[in-house]
Amino acid sequence: MSKRSRLVLVLVVLAVCFAFLWPSVKWYYITPKEDQALALGSREKIKDYARNMAVSDIRALMEAARTDDQTPVDARYAVLVQEARKNYKAMKKDIPAVWTARNLLGAFASESDALSVVETSWREHILSIKATQGKAVKLGLDLSGGMSIIIKADLDAAAESQKGSITDPATFKKEAMAQAMDTLKSRIDKFGLSEPVVRQQGDDRIYIEIPGAADSDRINSIIMGKGMLAFHMVDSDATSAFQQYYSEHPTSTFDAEYNLLDPSIIPAGTKVLGLYKKDSYGLDERTGFLVVKTEVGLEGRHIKSAQTSRDNISGLPLVNFNLDTEGAKIFAELTANNVKKSMAIVSDNKVKSYATINEAIPNGQVQISGFSSDEAENIKAVLRTAWLSVPLQLENQQVIGASMGEDAIRQGIWAILGGLAAVFVFMLLYYKASGINACVAQVLNFYIMFSVLSALNLTLSLSSIAGMILTIGMAVDANVIIFERMKDELRLKKGRAAAIEAGFDHAFWAIMDSNITTFIAAVFLTQLGTGSIKGFAYSLAIGVISSVFSALFVSKLMFDFDTDVLKKKTLSISWRIK
Amino acid sequence: MKKVIKFSTLFIPAVILSAVLIGSGVVGFAFKGINYGIDFQAGFIEKVRVAPTAFTLRYEGAMSVTVSQSSTGLTLVQTSVSSDNRSWSFPYASYQTVGDFAAAIAQVPGVTAEVSGPASVALKSVFPDSEVLSRLSATPYRFHYVPQDAPVISSDEIRGVLASAYPAASVQVIGKPQDRLFQIRLADDGSDKNASLSLRNGLSEVFNSKYGEENVAVISTDFVGSLFSKSLASQAIWLVLVTLVLIWAYCALRFRWDFAVGGVLAIMHDALIMVAFIVWTRMQFNSTTIAAILTILGYSINDTVVIFDRIRENMRFHPDMSITDILDLSQTEILSRTIITTLCTMLAVLSLFIFTTGDMKEFALALLVGMTSGVYSTIYIASAFISFVGRFRKDGGKMVEKVNRLNP
Repeated sequence: MSKRSRLVLVLVVLAVCFAFLWPSVKWYYITPKEDQALALGSREKIKDYARNMAVSDIRALMEAARTDDQTPVDARYAVLVQEARKNYKAMKKDIPAVWTARNLLGAFASESDALSVVETSWREHILSIKATQGKAVKLGLDLSGGMSIIIKADLDAAAESQKGSITDPATFKKEAMAQAMDTLKSRIDKFGLSEPVVRQQGDDRIYIEIPGAADSDRINSIIMGKGMLAFHMVDSDATSAFQQYYSEHPTSTFDAEYNLLDPSIIPAGTKVLGLYKKDSYGLDERTGFLVVKTEVGLEGRHIKSAQTSRDNISGLPLVNFNLDTEGAKIFAELTANNVKKSMAIVSDNKVKSYATINEAIPNGQVQISGFSSDEAENIKAVLRTAWLSVPLQLENQQVIGASMGEDAIRQGIWAILGGLAAVFVFMLLYYKASGINACVAQVLNFYIMFSVLSALNLTLSLSSIAGMILTIGMAVDANVIIFERMKDELRLKKGRAAAIEAGFDHAFWAIMDSNITTFIAAVFLTQLGTGSIKGFAYSLAIGVISSVFSALFVSKLMFDFDTDVLKKKTLSISWRIK
Repeated sequence: MKKVIKFSTLFIPAVILSAVLIGSGVVGFAFKGINYGIDFQAGFIEKVRVAPTAFTLRYEGAMSVTVSQSSTGLTLVQTSVSSDNRSWSFPYASYQTVGDFAAAIAQVPGVTAEVSGPASVALKSVFPDSEVLSRLSATPYRFHYVPQDAPVISSDEIRGVLASAYPAASVQVIGKPQDRLFQIRLADDGSDKNASLSLRNGLSEVFNSKYGEENVAVISTDFVGSLFSKSLASQAIWLVLVTLVLIWAYCALRFRWDFAVGGVLAIMHDALIMVAFIVWTRMQFNSTTIAAILTILGYSINDTVVIFDRIRENMRFHPDMSITDILDLSQTEILSRTIITTLCTMLAVLSLFIFTTGDMKEFALALLVGMTSGVYSTIYIASAFISFVGRFRKDGGKMVEKVNRLNP
């Protein structure tokens, strides 16, 4: 490879690494704390935030339009202006020279059109911050503090409890696991914690990670608690009254956990619950609020089975479910007393669906309709939780205090600096000027390692810092092999350039062989289950690659630079060889 | 040309020494067993500090206010579903005492602070309980501190406190005694399905009733159930074996089968020496230890392969030399590299050993032992095996043709 292409390659690698590293720099050093907190909030919070910001923006604009303010609108309406320009073009009207509030709003058919444009832009603003965070290096729990939980879902026990009704055990287990995941996700979402991670591990384990401090008692009881499915009657009058109140007080109705700040706005014996639908990603999305009676109309445990079907005449999707004898009696009475009223299906304090009771249902055979076939499947899945319980067992739970995380970060930084300093001093003393190359290669090695960690979305933990420190040794090794070889060549009375060439050439395979074997071990370590070993192994594997690169390319380039540009004739590499 | 060091004369004593060391590990394992960490022995570990409350924070309002502590200061972040999003930072440099902080907290709307200890406590020294949500609410959020003149609590006292509820608990003082930081370990026999919850609650009940809820701060907890530890153990053994096979395969491909066996023997030797060390020092054997062993497998083969590379080259240059002489020559030539590399890595790992605590410190220590053994096994064990096999080979252990084919 020619010197020029080697230089280009090194520069390209450094540039690409910077691009990988940029989101981390942006997130940790540029993004303000309150923006971080917003971006890490639940989807529900982000949605409400975008909505409220848009409403206040549009209100200000309407107010300006009413008073016929002639000054151009604020820069924050840039997105709206852009959209308005498009609309003016579509309407074949002249684009106004000055964007006043009035001609800006004039571009939109209705207030809600303008509102949705502004709302989208606010949401995208927060989501872009969230995306930056997604690309940044994340701190492991041992550095940031937080809680991690591994739960085993006992699918065999679940299958045992449904013996006889299962046709395909594999499908059953998959569905039961999906149900357990869904339930846990939805319960943890309700907490409104920053950035919880819930993911499936293997066939029957669920991994949950909650960064930052978390209330372990409450989380345990919520995670391990039994699911609650029930039917509640909807208070329609109170619901419309509440909606009126909420639209007037969008920011002061709820506290941070969506509890009412002023409980007197709804009648006694009722509560406000969110109405949720699955969005296209299969995640719960709140579409509104309902006021329901606190008193349970019918407990979910009376449901025996549920199926989906289609109406014979209209072909519309239906959900059918059967109740046991006791349930049928309760339900008959409930429906007879509440004809033409609405009933909500409530699971874990979320309204999953609601329907109007058309007539009394005396026999425990219930049929509900009025939704798409996807929704029908979702409702069936919700009803299933009533009789199919998947026993969960907590296998591993770790809580790390933020103060311990602080300590760990400090220890890690000191260990890296101490290790680097010791190695630098040694290399400079032992290899004199050539040691500088090794030190520069070492620094670049760290830079590349961090950016690859960032690019692969890996987590930085104390053990991955340990891996990096070990990599210091590995990276030195490549340099030592090369330098020792150069010394041998110098002893044979070769000149500077020839010694450098020979040193790198002969050392190449020794370096490759030794690093490939280490790489094999590191890759296998990445497969060992637990997080701390994984982190260590990933940084070791990445470090092996980047140290080979920095030794073979960067260090070589520096030697060549000294020879060709600085016109050096001798090689300063040892105290004994002149 | 440097003087060739006759490493080969020490092959037999070295093999005997290694056998004795490894044998002692086996004996130790048979009689004393191994000190399994929580990863392999199900249970519950809690780090807890007996420390009174310095001050509490409360919040009433519609927004979400969270508090966080960093090495430079305290930060309160307020977010809402509207434009009222702000953050306040209270650096230790400007707010040195709890009193300063409590006086300044009034600028955050809705948040009140109540100082329970002396106002002169350094703000830097306070710490929160790890098991409480850092989002402020009407329930007071506590920050604890340890008074400077507080009497030292011995681990025996804690053991006494736990004696009635958990007689088998192991208690350890962490750090300086005046920090009043304890690590308590309880075993889980797997009979209780909700062991995590019941052990956690049981322990905090004992502590709260003895010292009072406001004087106890949980720093971290770790629960490992019995199922989890079993799956980890089998996974670990499987991984070590596969790693060894792969390293063998790679070396056999690049060099020759007997070199590969010599290399694998050398690294197995290192792993066993580490295990012997762990057995005799009663160090905890956990997943971090396995990581250390696997790392040494990868690291030590590194040294060995570099030697193999030189041996192969020397075989080409000196076709007339006997295998033993080639081994000695190659070892001598490469000795400074072996020592410098290992020394540098050890310097880095030593830094890890000095600056970290707990698991990471033990990890570093295990690595240091493994590296020392790695240098030794590279020189003596791998070479001894190759020279031993060489005696029985028709070509006397040379591999000239193969060298020519692979390294033209």
